[in-house]
Amino acid sequence: MSSAVEVSAIIPVSKRYDRQGTLVEKYLASLQSLGRSFELICVLDGDCGEFENHVLALSETERSLKVIRLAKTFGEATAIAAGYEYASGETIVTLPAYYQIEPGEIDKLIDKLDDCDLAIAVRWPRVTSSRFENWRREAFHWLVAKVGHEKFTDLGCGARAMRRIVLQEIPLYAEQHRLLPLLALRRGFHVREVKVRQSAEDRFEGRYGARTYLRRMLDILGIVFLVRFTKKPLRFFGMIGSVMFLLGAIFLVYVIIDRVFFGVGLADRPALLLSSLLVVLGLQLFALGLLGELIIFTHAQDLKEYTIEKIVN
Amino acid sequence: MFLTVVVPLYNESENVSPLYEAIFRSIEKVDGAAEVIFVDDGSSDDTFEVAARLADADTRLRVVKFRRNYGQTPAMAAGIDLARGEIIITMDGDLQNDPADIPRFIDEIHKGSDIVVGWRFNRQDKLVTRKIPSRIANWLIGKVTGVPIKDNGCSLKAFRASLIKGVPLYSEMHRFIPAMASIAGPRISEIKVRHHARRFGESKYGLSRVYKVLLDLLTIKMISTFSVRPLQWFAILAMPFLLLAVLMTLETIIRFASTGDFSLPVAGTALFFFAHGTFLLFGGALGELISRTGLQQVTRFHVLAAAEAADSSRRLQSIDAKGKGI
Repeated sequence: MSSAVEVSAIIPVSKRYDRQGTLVEKYLASLQSLGRSFELICVLDGDCGEFENHVLALSETERSLKVIRLAKTFGEATAIAAGYEYASGETIVTLPAYYQIEPGEIDKLIDKLDDCDLAIAVRWPRVTSSRFENWRREAFHWLVAKVGHEKFTDLGCGARAMRRIVLQEIPLYAEQHRLLPLLALRRGFHVREVKVRQSAEDRFEGRYGARTYLRRMLDILGIVFLVRFTKKPLRFFGMIGSVMFLLGAIFLVYVIIDRVFFGVGLADRPALLLSSLLVVLGLQLFALGLLGELIIFTHAQDLKEYTIEKIVN
Repeated sequence: MFLTVVVPLYNESENVSPLYEAIFRSIEKVDGAAEVIFVDDGSSDDTFEVAARLADADTRLRVVKFRRNYGQTPAMAAGIDLARGEIIITMDGDLQNDPADIPRFIDEIHKGSDIVVGWRFNRQDKLVTRKIPSRIANWLIGKVTGVPIKDNGCSLKAFRASLIKGVPLYSEMHRFIPAMASIAGPRISEIKVRHHARRFGESKYGLSRVYKVLLDLLTIKMISTFSVRPLQWFAILAMPFLLLAVLMTLETIIRFASTGDFSLPVAGTALFFFAHGTFLLFGGALGELISRTGLQQVTRFHVLAAAEAADSSRRLQSIDAKGKGI
């Protein structure tokens, strides 16, 4: 049976999930209306309380619903990766575990795959609960556009459809699911945004803590490094290192000239401390960059930098 | 010997057909089988379609299409990875290199060279933005790497496949292939090649790469000279700082003992330098670990080159023997 599955939908269930217990049925109904064979894989990222009971009960009667429970909380991206391990369809859809989009709109995403490899949903028209949330979302996307050279409008939306090969080639972990489109672009996949209707139930109560923001920033930073400098660590480290080194060196020369020509004693110049700190830091960053280059060189045979779409003959 | 010609193409749809004809006209004069690999580096025009049409009619032509634009080095790397030939020739897809020069490269390989590099002695490019920077870069590359090649930027090169397939090619290293390969100690020769002005399309280079080239050069220098003994190299870097630290500490102590003043900046700087030296030493130890456990073992690379001169069956044995002993 599993080999005949065309569409595999994955619901990664983390901290936020639908508490009314109606969403999964709606997804099932929507998938059924596609007219293709499908499976719905619910990946429970750790303990999901009532939701777990609900889907387990549902899977008794619904053969196309599979439930996977991870041993502890690993993060949404890992849940998607785990779901992918069990998915057998050529088309993979990820669906949010709470109301974000109208469940009936899944077909729009899948249809878009005709001319791209990854279709991501944009909730449109968008209703948000507060101006602060609007501002926060814009700031996040602005930052992503700055570092990734690609403007997205709704990376927070968990509904995406993709060809199987996308997840096959991109190892997801921790919180990287939000930046999946960016990673896919780097691998040479075509990514398109699709406007879908936002669910009326989609509201966000509460606030994110400072730790969440910090984590997101670090995620973006990690991706920037991976995307831009993996093959050239020295360019990254060297850039920062050489600025520091130069600043320190200029300072140091100034202090020494003062000492030699104007007799200002070195011993009572705190500037000496600062400039030598900068020189030393700059050199250390350079040294780290060189070690990075050594790592790349010794693994170069393994790191294919290109992705081939087609070979003729 | 089986010959493979690798040509990276990026938005060269007008050049594909003339290039195809010129290459085959030239390699038909050479003995032995041959194949040509066109690597379409994610062109936005119909380069791939034109090339694929040619390939449908001629099985000696293989066309590889990248999913997106990755750059010239990955395109060459892909062609080299897929090449089945024992001699690999690389060249530009813009018809500035003349395929008619190919037989001379092959003669040079038959004479015993491992790498043959083209030299565009009458280069047809703009003087200020292209030729002068390139001359400075070549001089610098020659000085730093110790491989004095007049024209590193010329894409028309010939390699023994067994050598070039072992050279890691990534990022923008194509300019440094001879330098990179020189780690393995090959015989490199250089011959003059014709160079034509661009007929179709736009030049894809500019003058904004100085910083990148400098850092790449530093990388190559480090990899080629120090990667076998990173600890030694880092220790040499650390020594002056440690020495300074000791001197400054002594100065502080003597001054304190004789006059009773204590200079915080001097003592503090001494501590920085001390920390820095120690850090570098341990960095070197880490480097040692990396170069010993990496997949591409640098020492193995040396062995490969040494054996290149010997016959191929003995080569495999020696790689195994030395490779495990590290």
